[in-house]
Amino acid sequence: MTTVLLLVSLALGAWMVAVIEEWTTSGRFRLAAPLFAGIALLGRESILARKPDRLFFEVAPVLLLLSAVLAAAVIPLTPNLVVANLATGALFVNAALVYVLVALLMAGWGPDGAYAMVGGWRFLGQLIGYAMLVVMPITAVVMRAESLFTTDIVMSQAEVWNIIYQPLGFVLFFIAAMALAFLPPFDLPIAKGELAGGVEAEYSGVRLAVFRLGRLALIITLAAATVVFYLGGWQGPILPPWAWSALKIFGVTIIMLLSGRMMPRIREAHMLAWFWKLGIPLALLNIFIVGVLVLVLPS
Amino acid sequence: MTAQMFFIGFFGLAAVWFGIVVFRTFSMVRSALALLFSQTALGAMFLSMQAEFLGVLQIMMMATEMSIMAIFMVMFMMDPGGLGTMEMTHQKRLSLWAGFVSFVGAVLVAIFVDWGPIAATAPDAAQQTVDLGLELLGRSMLIFETAGITILTAMIAATAVAIQPIKRSS
Repeated sequence: MTTVLLLVSLALGAWMVAVIEEWTTSGRFRLAAPLFAGIALLGRESILARKPDRLFFEVAPVLLLLSAVLAAAVIPLTPNLVVANLATGALFVNAALVYVLVALLMAGWGPDGAYAMVGGWRFLGQLIGYAMLVVMPITAVVMRAESLFTTDIVMSQAEVWNIIYQPLGFVLFFIAAMALAFLPPFDLPIAKGELAGGVEAEYSGVRLAVFRLGRLALIITLAAATVVFYLGGWQGPILPPWAWSALKIFGVTIIMLLSGRMMPRIREAHMLAWFWKLGIPLALLNIFIVGVLVLVLPS
Repeated sequence: MTAQMFFIGFFGLAAVWFGIVVFRTFSMVRSALALLFSQTALGAMFLSMQAEFLGVLQIMMMATEMSIMAIFMVMFMMDPGGLGTMEMTHQKRLSLWAGFVSFVGAVLVAIFVDWGPIAATAPDAAQQTVDLGLELLGRSMLIFETAGITILTAMIAATAVAIQPIKRSS
């Protein structure tokens, strides 16, 4: 039952992301557009590249969707609505999301096309930038909760949310999450107008539909993870827990989709330089500050 | 118990099979990803053995590491994008012997080392994480720090060896 509820929530979330994304890019707010776009994609021919690595080409979109869904499985939307409350939950989110990279690498290399390949390798470079900035802020969150259970992480924020307790970690995690979901200005592997779609370039029809669905699920999963790690999860006054989760995830998604639109696409070398020379020292500083706070403040 | 043994055996065989695929393919990218799946199967073996933290960690780390290995191979092998074909085996006689000797060595160690008393049941997953943390920051700290530094040194050295020096015209 929880699994069905989670999948329905993910589907609703993906639909919401698609609507907001269209609104942020073109200014049109059309609730039925994702449905029509999906039907259109399913109706179109799914072209196979001339000399693909068939295994990678077919597996990549499914793997992208699967890794987003698996990460969502450990994220609690209410105290009881969590598919698998693992003792390694916070680590598991990251373990599942690393396979986004594997999926994009396969999607880039599989179809034997230049644009796709450049996009795939670019995302690998991107990973080298963001990976540490996903893991290290989560470390600080776990330090405060003294547990890897995602439900314990939410409960640890009963009095003060982590966005106030460790604002530095929140900023770093939020930026890294945007890079993980390859949202603008970090949309290097897709790079519309430059790489002709990048890793998406050789996909069409039903395969492209699965790929796009995977990307939407990835965005919503990351927004949910941000809410659980930094915004107190389901907690809030008056409204029921599920409503608070939904509202917060909705808000984070809108900020994620809007904030990048106003910026030019960042160059790979610049991104790596910023993430390594500024991001990682700040993440270490964040761990240090949280360590001191955990020791000094009464729990 | 039987289901557990079945999954341990299944993922063990999968790990060995993907390890063989590493050398059967003619592409660096396929080879690297086969190695990734081999390591992921090892992670699944940990999970079958109820070692949750180790399993999840293995599955997480290997995806990053093997992908980064793939890009290093592509960068240094003069094969743009890794699209060319390449023989994955070399120094065959030496490699066969090295593989055979290490296999026998590993089997001998597994059989003859005194592993101490075997726990009847695995502690629960949260307790395992605590135990592991105390172990890593206590008794085994020096070993792990040494291993970490050694790997880092090896990576820097390998990169330095692989890069062709640029001749700067003065």
